[in-house]
Order: sequence, then C-alpha cells, then structure tokens
Amino acid sequence: MTKKPVEAKGICKRYKSFLESSTTVLQNISLDIEEGEIFGLLGPNGSGKTTLISIFSTLIYPEQGSLFILGMDARRDNGEIRKVINISTAKPNFPWSLTVQENLRHYGMLYGLYGSALSRTVGDQIDAFELGDFRDTKFENLSTGLKQRLSLAKAMLNHPRLLFLDEPTTGLDPDISIKTRMLIKRIHQEQNISVVLSTHYMPEAEMLCDRIAFLRKGQIVALDTPRNLKKHLGLGEKVVVSYEGPADIRALESMPGVLGVKAEKGRLEIMIDRNEDSLDRIIKLFCNARILDITIKEPDLEDVFLELAR
Amino acid sequence: MNWQGELNKYLASAYKNWITSKRNIFTLFELFFWPMISLLSIGLLTRFLKVEGSMVSFLLVGAIALTILQVAQIDVAYVLLFDMWSKSIKNTFIAPIHSYHLVFGATLFGILRGSVVFFILAIVSRYLFGFDFQEGGLLPVLIFLAGVFATAAVIGIIVCISILTFGQKADVAAWSLSGMILLVSGIYYPVEVLPPLLQTLARAIPLTYFLEYYRSVFIPGPHHLAIGAFLAVFYLVLGLILFDRAIERARRTGILLRLSE
Ligand SMILES: Nc1ncnc2c1ncn2[C@@H]1O[C@H](COP(=O)(O)OP(=O)(O)O)[C@@H](O)[C@H]1O
Ligand SMILES: [Mg+2]
Repeated sequence: MTKKPVEAKGICKRYKSFLESSTTVLQNISLDIEEGEIFGLLGPNGSGKTTLISIFSTLIYPEQGSLFILGMDARRDNGEIRKVINISTAKPNFPWSLTVQENLRHYGMLYGLYGSALSRTVGDQIDAFELGDFRDTKFENLSTGLKQRLSLAKAMLNHPRLLFLDEPTTGLDPDISIKTRMLIKRIHQEQNISVVLSTHYMPEAEMLCDRIAFLRKGQIVALDTPRNLKKHLGLGEKVVVSYEGPADIRALESMPGVLGVKAEKGRLEIMIDRNEDSLDRIIKLFCNARILDITIKEPDLEDVFLELAR
Repeated sequence: MNWQGELNKYLASAYKNWITSKRNIFTLFELFFWPMISLLSIGLLTRFLKVEGSMVSFLLVGAIALTILQVAQIDVAYVLLFDMWSKSIKNTFIAPIHSYHLVFGATLFGILRGSVVFFILAIVSRYLFGFDFQEGGLLPVLIFLAGVFATAAVIGIIVCISILTFGQKADVAAWSLSGMILLVSGIYYPVEVLPPLLQTLARAIPLTYFLEYYRSVFIPGPHHLAIGAFLAVFYLVLGLILFDRAIERARRTGILLRLSE
C-alpha cells in the first residue's frame, strides 16, 4: 500500500444549487503529492483552490474521481483520515466569544484529547505560535495576523501528518506575511509533515513550495518545480528598462538568472529570477547608456494564464 | 482512543455552549426573563379567570413545559448556530466527529439550563400560585423532565438538519416548530379539543404523552407513557441518523463551505 499524502485521479466537482444551473468548479484533476513535500496550489481567485483543498481534506466530496489520502480511501475511510490531517482555512474563523486558549481547548476536545495531555498540547501550541500574551483574548478581539496564528495552532493540535493551508497569508500585512511564511517553513521542518498550501501569490509559492500546480478555471494547466515554472511560463519578475545609448543585448540574454529578453528600440523587457543576484548584473550592463526609467513588475498570474489559455 | 478521549469529544460542544452562554447577556434573558414572563402571565390569567386549583396546575404545567422545552431546544440548535454565526463550521467538520458527539454535549448543556429554569419556575409557581410540583413524588417530575428534554433534543436536531440542508435562513423556519408544539401537543388544553387531523398530529409528538402523564398526578386521568417514551427514543435515533446523513449531503453539495463564507 502506498502512503503518498495525496493521490488524486480524475477529480471533478460541480456545485449544484436549488433552481440554478450547476457550475463546474474542478475538471479532471489528477496529481500525486509526495511524502514530506510542501505542495503549492497556485491560481487566481475563483480558480478552485479552496474547493480542491476542501476535497483533499474530506470536508467535501468530489462528484467523480478516485482519491487516496495517506493511503486511505477518502470516501470510505474519511473518519480515519480526519484523525491524521488538519486544516487552516482561508480567513480563519472560530467561535467569537471564546478566548485563544478556550478555542484551542474546544478543538482539542473534538480531537479526543483529555486531561493533562489536552492542557499540555494547548500550552505547547500557544508557545509554539507565540500566542502567550493573547491566551485570554477573545477571538473577536484578535488582529487578522493573530487569528491566522491561532488557526495554525489549531491545525497542529492533533499533530497531523498532512497539513492543509488555504491562503495562509492572504489579507495579512507584508511583515506579518513574511513571519507567517517562516512559521510554516519551521513547522514543516520540525514536525516533518507534508503540507498542501494554496496561494495566489507567486513569490510565496516560490519561497515555500517544492512543487506547484497551476490552477486555472478548475484545471491544472501546469505542474512543476517553481524554477521550471518560472522558466517555462515566464513567471519571473519583469524588469522594464527605457534607455538611450548602447546596451549589449546578447550579453544580457546569456546572463545567469535572466529567463528571457524582449527588445524594442530604446526599451528592454527582461524576465529575471531574483534569486540569482541578476538585478545587479543587469544594471551594470547599462553603464555606457543613459537609463531613463526602470520598473520591476511582479509576475502577473492573469497574464500567464492568458498566455497558457492560448 | 480510550473512553476519556471519546467522552471529551461528546463534551466539547457542552464546553463551547457553556462559555458562549456565560459571556452572552442574552442567555440571561433566555434563562430568567422570558421563562418568568410566560409563567407569570399564565398564572395571573388563572387568577383573573378564577380558575380552580387542579386546572391551575394543568395550565402551569403547560407553561413550564413549553418554557423549558424552548430553553433546552435552543441549546441543542446552538451547537450549529454558533458555528454558523461565527463561520467556523469548517473547523468543526474537519474533526473526526459524528452528529451524536455534537448533539450529546449540547443536549447535556440544554438539560442543565432547562433544569435550572425548571427549578426557578417551580419555586415561583409554588409561592405565587400554590402549585406543588412534587405532589406525586420526585419520580414523575424526573420522567416528565426527561420527556421534555428528549422532545427538545429532537427539535434541536431538526433545526441542525435544516441548517445543513437549506442554509442560513433555515433556522427561522425551524423555530416555528416550537410554535407547532404549542398549538397541538396540549400545552394549554387537552388535545381532545383539537380537530381530528391535529389530534393525529398531537399523537405523534412525544411531549403530548409526557404532559398527560405528569398531569395525571394532579388530575387523575388516562395516560400512555410507554408510547411517549417509545416515540422519543425512536425520533432521537432517527434524528441522529438523519443528522449524519445531512452532514454527508452537505459535504456533497458543498453547502458546508458556503456556510463558512
Ligand atoms: N459552495 C459553493 N456553491 C457554488 N459555487 C461555489 C461554491 N464555492 C465556490 N464556488 C464557486 O467555485 C469557484 C471556485 O471557487 P474556490 O474553490 O473558492 O476558488 P479559489 O479558492 O481559488 O478562489 C468559484 O467560481 C466560486 O464562485
Ligand atoms: Mg479560496
């Protein structure tokens, strides 16, 4: 028996609502997730990320397809699966009037923790996610970042082997987002668990994920490592330089970290991989020219999707 | 998993309801204000109409039954309502639990609150209206309360099922159930005064039998306690099965996600 965290074949999901026509949200999704990896689901809003994560976590059931989670049949053994997985949902919500500690106790109880083990686990999570100062703060009075941290703490209560994180940084301030990403990396390393994470933000997927599936309108349009995706799909950052004078475009094209160059008269569009220190080398190429303007654009997923759709 | 862990899964919803209730000023209204109003208004009505002794107990038993039914029933429904209002339903249903875990804890808390209300109302009605709820000993009281709480649990389960089936607005429709009970199960008059069709309906409601039983302590008359007990158990088991199926259905339709948005 295989123990892959996720083995999905031909997953389809339609939402039927009363009196309205049904909408197809996922079409023929097949993918395997390997043990210990952080797997990213990347896609714009409405592409089906939440639906797919919800299906993988047995919150909802697919119409079609076969799905095995940690080697167990997602439909038949969902009770067993739920014991060893957990989720932190997008825009996490918990009972409002319960404090951080009470919320963790409540969910700990739902997972069958009791007595000193319950108190210890709750205490451990409060420490691990630096929630000590907010132990007795009601959920409704927490900031968005703290709510997210509580949600991560709750997701670790049963020491899951497979963790689902739906848009863990959406809506957070940039500095809190960075902190949250570090936290996710740390949990992954320390607990040695598999993680499935969704995001609509390429740099996040790049920083955290071993592999990324690209979702568009409920279909996987690409699945690869972040590096390969950037190369093949032009997902790097785009540096646009307007200049007067000479510039060695050949040298630019062969430079490490440069994924592609589009040249017009007096204007260059350079696709780069920021990780490889490329910005500095690019700028130095223009030492004999007069730079009129430089802009750096983050990859626009919508653009890529349009590209892929052709 | 051992029995203590399993027990805690049952108690989780009691814990949540207890904390939510103790922080919510409106639960004090549910516990003291409305129960007192319904008891006093019925009690004073009996004075105005110069109702004689045994009929006073008939009416007060009805008022008390309806009141604690409503208190306990809302506690069972709260188990999903709190989750729906706070949009935390996903976190509940990602956990390895069944409908009976949720219902048990919530009902336990409902029984606790219902018992408190009963105690208050019993004492008040004794001093103000001379109604001795212990006239036939403690056993009839306990049987009567068990019947009220079982009926409350069934109504609460129906509310939960409607939420999972029809979504946010369903709770409103489900509240009308306790109105129906008021009309047909003989709260303020014997079911014999109802038109035949409603009488048949009354005979399908466990509370009807428990009311007849408890009243027979004050006004001797026939009762069919066994049928009431059978119906209560039957509905509870059926309700839990249907609740589990409603959860499965909600996972298919995806309403579980929409309830958390
Ligand atoms: N419960 C639901 N009922 C009907 N349609 C839904 C429901 N949930 C999501 N959808 C639709 O399914 C599509 C995918 O949604 P979702 O999985 O939330 O995408 P994402 O998480 O990538 O933003 C969207 O078009 C959304 O409107
Ligand atoms: Mg989403």
